[in-house]
Amino acid sequence: MFGAFRASHVNLGGLLWKTPWKLSPTRKANARARLKKVDAVIEAVRASGIQCHSLDRALELPKEHEMPARDKYSVFTPHTAGYRKGIHKVPKWTRLTHRTNPKGF
Amino acid sequence: MASAVRVCRYTTAAPKLSPRLKNLQLTSTPPDSAPTNPESLTHFKITLRRSAISLGEKKKGTLAALGLHRRNQTVYHPHKPDIAGKILAVKELLEVQNVGAADVRDKTQQRAERRAPKGYEVVGSRTGGMEGV
Repeated sequence: MFGAFRASHVNLGGLLWKTPWKLSPTRKANARARLKKVDAVIEAVRASGIQCHSLDRALELPKEHEMPARDKYSVFTPHTAGYRKGIHKVPKWTRLTHRTNPKGF
Repeated sequence: MASAVRVCRYTTAAPKLSPRLKNLQLTSTPPDSAPTNPESLTHFKITLRRSAISLGEKKKGTLAALGLHRRNQTVYHPHKPDIAGKILAVKELLEVQNVGAADVRDKTQQRAERRAPKGYEVVGSRTGGMEGV
């Protein structure tokens, strides 16, 4: 059980990367900062006075301060109990917009 | 005052000051920028902050259509619906500001503005160069 030749995940399987179950406070703060930057881009386009379909779609998104913490840091998944997983499990999540989830979940 | 361009983008045409005080004034806070009315803003100033690597060819193509080829590159485009649509298609990767037509810079002008000023200016010397201090 103990000692240099004990069985561990790394010994048995080689490479092992662990993704934490939830985001740390720092990662959450960074996520909020990114959401605010996207809000600023939408606001700049809105301030330009242009009207277009893509802007209407973008304005339907909840702003960072309107989003519940649940939606900021987790996303819907049908595969787990509770129907939620950390948003950091989504590939490329720092460069995607993922603000709304199925109603009731 | 050619050498002061790097530090000071606004005039310090105040009353006559000694050179040392003038230097202090160069590093002090700039005056409030003039309020701009929204009608005079005609262009988007678009800066690519995040790369589109592995986000798919459509997003990469959108950036290319905006003329953005490397991170932290800045381009200017007029306020038009097609440009707005492109910005919003890659809104997670960009930083956007609205600017007036006078603030639009092409690549050469942006390079020229980044350049350090040439030469130097003698501010004073140990042997009595600092008159009036």
